Amino acid sequence: MLSRLKTVLETFLEWFVIFLMVILTFVVIVAVLWRLAGSSFSWYDEVAAILLAWITYYGAALAALRRRHIGFDSVLLSIPMPARMWAVTLAEAITAGFFILLAWSGFTVLQVMSGMNLISLTWVPVTFTQSVIPIGAVLFLVCQALSLPDYWRTTASGISLEHAEIEEEVEHEMKKAGNA
Amino acid sequence: MLMLGIFVSMVAMICLNIPIAVALAVSAIFGLIVMEGTGALVTVALDMYNGSTKFSLIAIPMFVLAGAIMNAGGITDRLINFVSAIIGFVRGGLAMVNIGVSLFFAEISGSAVADVAAMGSVLIPQMKKRGYGGPLSAAVTSSSASLAIIIPPSIPMILYATSANVSVEQLFVAGVVPGLMGAAGLMLVAHIFARRYNLPTEEAFNFQRLRETFVDALPAFALPVIILGGIFGGFVTATEAAGLAVLAAIAVSLFYRQVDLKHLKNAMLDGGMQTAVVMVLVAASVVMGGFLTRAQVPQDIAQGILNITNNKWVILLILNFFFLIIGFFLHSAAAIILVVPIVIPLIVAADINPIHFGLVVTLNLAIGQQTPPVASVLITACAVARANIWEVSKVNIWFILVLLTVLLMCTYIPSIPLFLVEYFYG
Repeated sequence: MLSRLKTVLETFLEWFVIFLMVILTFVVIVAVLWRLAGSSFSWYDEVAAILLAWITYYGAALAALRRRHIGFDSVLLSIPMPARMWAVTLAEAITAGFFILLAWSGFTVLQVMSGMNLISLTWVPVTFTQSVIPIGAVLFLVCQALSLPDYWRTTASGISLEHAEIEEEVEHEMKKAGNA
Repeated sequence: MLMLGIFVSMVAMICLNIPIAVALAVSAIFGLIVMEGTGALVTVALDMYNGSTKFSLIAIPMFVLAGAIMNAGGITDRLINFVSAIIGFVRGGLAMVNIGVSLFFAEISGSAVADVAAMGSVLIPQMKKRGYGGPLSAAVTSSSASLAIIIPPSIPMILYATSANVSVEQLFVAGVVPGLMGAAGLMLVAHIFARRYNLPTEEAFNFQRLRETFVDALPAFALPVIILGGIFGGFVTATEAAGLAVLAAIAVSLFYRQVDLKHLKNAMLDGGMQTAVVMVLVAASVVMGGFLTRAQVPQDIAQGILNITNNKWVILLILNFFFLIIGFFLHSAAAIILVVPIVIPLIVAADINPIHFGLVVTLNLAIGQQTPPVASVLITACAVARANIWEVSKVNIWFILVLLTVLLMCTYIPSIPLFLVEYFYG
């Protein structure tokens, strides 16, 4: 059940991040070509920046699901068991606490900004663009919870996630190059 | 006392493997609560949103995407053939080919780890077959890939430019000469190793072969021409050059018929994920920046150091040591985002050119990618070569010495990084 939910969420986030990247790429390329042709879009800066924010928070949730955020695990892995797992519990609680705070703060800001619209696209409400913060924070919490069992197991075994990720990338490239 | 508490809590959280972005934001929130009470908490969401909408940082997903498309697009073999035709006649030619191709990849991609995995998986097995040994093969690949972060386009440079509020285009230009100097130095060390261990040459120089391989690789050269030519010529900004690089990468890959929708999808996903991981750090740094500004911390640090010395060369020496140590423990993006906003007031007060300092910081962090425990580029190269990290590090010391020499030269002879900047923008 948990792994099925994880797969569904991962697939959704993957396709949504790809969708956002395709739109951002399209917008940037068209805007550059337009500018080189001597014209420009008034909405370009604002829309591109909003797309970047959306990629940031939906991508961050996906990175949380795969435990790919930049960290430093050498000290944690050197802590003897079972103290290491108490340290993991504390770390997970602090991370979750921050995203609960971010979700609350994000919802509060949305209430304050109700009725406001973007500067260049006046028909787009600011609450729509800024919704990425509370939604992204809640998604991060869900992804953190779903990826916790695997993270718990690998950390208990003393395996570095960064090293595992590098091994995976290297194996993929070696296969592609026919040197596996 | 408050700053000490914040610093200690941040280090403790990083040691618990809490994502550095979260450690940064939580420490800042702690400081804000102590200074202003819980009323400051509502602004956290606004800061985190504003931090993720910095327009100049749109160049990051675009450059990562261009690199990922090119890595998937199969230009590696053509580049290897071309560089081999130029330099393969020298003893240790394959190591030099490795360094040359690394520099070319650096012109396109923003991720040294991805480049090492893609290029190393082709070149390292070949080097091992030709008698180079795993440690030497890994050391050459790793050091040249790290040098690549001072060659434009470079994500650490984009992050520095945003953090220090300087021109990313000028920083890109500043990286060219030190990058070429470093490459020449690495090639020299590789050649010395080759003579010592009697390693082979690759192919006799043949003008016809050079011409053929050049024509074959010609479409791939469109990318550096667009990126460097466009930026240096003042036709486009770094963000615009990044957009054009994606367009050119797709065109070149289609031309070589070695990219399909699956590759494109993976490249988009890689680009999005890598961007998100860096941008969350940037967003968290805005929360920390708000606290530091209110607490006047950067100004106090600047004043404290200036009370000890106002000699800019001594200050640069201190900062070099500091960034080298930071590079042992932090990824380059995290180091820049954490430290640069704090030291910039000191740089300005000591009359150090922030572009010059940006190059010094980037070079320090390039060396940091070679020094365990946090050395993702070195670890990737070791994984490809199936070599022990300490065996590789013993060989790699000589290549790191080259990078350190370039660092010292760039630190104390500012005209090395700055003369091209003055030529183009002076």
